[in-house]
Amino acid sequence: MNARTRENLTAFWFLLPFLIGLVVFFLFAFLRTIWYSFTNYNLFDKSDWVGLQNYADVFKDSLFIQALINTFTFAILTTLIQTVGALLLAIVMNQKLRGIGFFRTAYYFPSIASSAVTTLIFIWLFRPTGLISYLSTTFVNYLPLLLTGLAIVIVVQALQVAFERSRGLPASPFDPALLVVSLLVAVIGTIVLNAGGVVRVGSADPTPLLWLSTSDRLFGFISYPILMIILMNSFTTMPTLMLTFLAGLQGIPQSVYEAASIDGASPIQQIRFVTIPILRPVTFYVISIGIIGTLQMFDQAALLGGTSPLDTVVTLAFYVYHNVFSGGAESRVGLASAAAILLAVITLVLLQIQRRFLSDEGVNQ
Amino acid sequence: MKKRVVATGLALGAAAVLAGSMVQGQANVITIGGYDGQTDTALVSELIAKFVKPKLAADGVDVKYVPTADFGTSIVTQLSAGTAPDLFYLEDFAAKGLIASGKILPLNGLVNSKDFLPSLNNIFSSGGKQYGIAKDFNTLVLYYNKDLFDQAKVAYPDDNDNWNDFATKTTAVQKALGKGYTGTCFPAEYSRFGAFAASTGWKPIQGGRTVLDSNFKRAFKFYTDLVKSGVAVKPGQINAGWGGDCMKSGKVATAFEGGWALGFLRDQAPNLKYGTTLLPRDPQTNKRGNLIYTVAWAIHSGTKNKAAAVKVLNALTSVEAQQFVLRGGLALPSRISLQDDPYLGGAGVENIAFRNVFRGASEGNAVSFAPDKFGNAWFRGIDEALNSTMDGQKTVDQAVREAQAAVNKVMGK
Repeated sequence: MNARTRENLTAFWFLLPFLIGLVVFFLFAFLRTIWYSFTNYNLFDKSDWVGLQNYADVFKDSLFIQALINTFTFAILTTLIQTVGALLLAIVMNQKLRGIGFFRTAYYFPSIASSAVTTLIFIWLFRPTGLISYLSTTFVNYLPLLLTGLAIVIVVQALQVAFERSRGLPASPFDPALLVVSLLVAVIGTIVLNAGGVVRVGSADPTPLLWLSTSDRLFGFISYPILMIILMNSFTTMPTLMLTFLAGLQGIPQSVYEAASIDGASPIQQIRFVTIPILRPVTFYVISIGIIGTLQMFDQAALLGGTSPLDTVVTLAFYVYHNVFSGGAESRVGLASAAAILLAVITLVLLQIQRRFLSDEGVNQ
Repeated sequence: MKKRVVATGLALGAAAVLAGSMVQGQANVITIGGYDGQTDTALVSELIAKFVKPKLAADGVDVKYVPTADFGTSIVTQLSAGTAPDLFYLEDFAAKGLIASGKILPLNGLVNSKDFLPSLNNIFSSGGKQYGIAKDFNTLVLYYNKDLFDQAKVAYPDDNDNWNDFATKTTAVQKALGKGYTGTCFPAEYSRFGAFAASTGWKPIQGGRTVLDSNFKRAFKFYTDLVKSGVAVKPGQINAGWGGDCMKSGKVATAFEGGWALGFLRDQAPNLKYGTTLLPRDPQTNKRGNLIYTVAWAIHSGTKNKAAAVKVLNALTSVEAQQFVLRGGLALPSRISLQDDPYLGGAGVENIAFRNVFRGASEGNAVSFAPDKFGNAWFRGIDEALNSTMDGQKTVDQAVREAQAAVNKVMGK
């Protein structure tokens, strides 16, 4: 046995435990799913070969089409929000400030909580008379006061700036010292107007927030429960991705920024032309795991499934589950398998597109 | 030394896993599957210890309760994989679907089903064969908060009330007590609304079809209108999860729940003064409706010890076992002979409630909660229609039309 073979064999032995897991839990399951997708298996009876029937049926099922729309909406929006958010957060967390360690820890917290717990907290926040409903009603009730205050700030600031300029002094419209005076006048003015009964706080009762039970859609395609899950998922995933970006950021030498600065690049330009291009491999990774994770989203949809109309929360993964465990009705394993295979194909296609989009050179750096 | 500790640990772990999986499928151990919850685990374990083990001790057979958290899902996979417990809960809404799988042992000739209420037997029979024996049953009753009615000086709801009387009384209570108080809780669920629909004479499934006819629509309108008027609320609107929570809050005058709310109120709202009565009648038919909920004991057709499993089933549904459950105020017996048990004649709040639960099954148009072989997907369209109408997003006509389409789809029509 020569040295090379021996080396290969050693590598193989090290890989073996993982390979066994892969063959049993992935390859076997995947091949079986492919097989089931061509049969009418229902968990109990002998199954018959039905060819492409399940694939045809899946596309005729309006719930599947809905699941497709929800999944794409969710995957694209969530990946976008969490990637941009994580990058911005990482840039902020990369500053050399006192006590930045505390903030890094604090911002990482949402990622530690289990998604089931976070979902329950969000259901609680978004329930008809929950905190969100209360805060939005309070905001609407205080809106007249806020608007009055804002109007006073604008008027007083304009008067002050005009006065300063009339004296030949260079006053900017956003001069901080003048703004403080304007704000003080606005606060006192608003309190006086409110006491005098000119401006009143609204007395609207909290309007029940129907996000979780409505079948209405924002812009005609984003269902409100999905919107809530998008917010929640971005909130919990952003910190993990932030950490990845932060690691990437810390690998960028300070000298690059110094050089950019000497060339006259503003902080925004530095991010645009230095940070983002250098972080491209990290961004590729972040978007990839974002897409894979969001396309397979199941837990939040399943937890909300009980409170929200099915077609507003159904995702491809939930559709698969819903058809296998159909609450007492016959399981449609064939149909569910076809949907699962389609989900896998969609994931692969999206990753390939994304790979093209982010260009190979960036990825292979 | 360290290596040896690790190796021993691993070996012990593997042995525990193996031992656990081997209990199921042994001829001298009968396993029982059911819900994993404090109440069920404690009750079934007590029944096993008191009534089952003594009868099987001579045969050298041991009996074990193996509850699972997501029972409805796990029993499907267990039956499919052939690893199901010998004996298990068969839920009414899943019964017809699981019977069709062929994995449940027909009990004809093994158990005398004639001793049990025929309306319950029907839910667990198919093609003339009996597949499960109801362990107990429940129906809905109207719970009312006596203090709130007293404060508002409104007469308590009673057996003679129809929907209009009910609406008048709850509206009066709400008006008298003012902001923060609510007349009743109406969940956007068929599992409560169905009782109102049934009182109109509407039948959930007839000849393999569900027709959401004008009677259904009448009940639907009454149920959703009361929410839209603000007299009734969905439990979620007052941050409650279900009717029991509504009653517990002390701010809701009435709620529609089954006997399962009794134990909850006993524990969670021990100072609440409440009463129960039968459901209000439909003013047109002058009949009341109800939903009958039940769960049966069934035997896995692949059991290694059929004789012992049948013995266990008989012991669990014996007169003594059901009497024990009834007198503990836990559930109503399915045995005909126990329907006039002295407990049901008692004057306590819970005795009266159980009497009302019992009467609910036989008065007027009581129908089974189980939607034949269509599982809980059948409810979903109706639930969503109720919800969207209550929220003012859809008109009654529009919502019922959509519910009909959803139900048709589930039933493959």
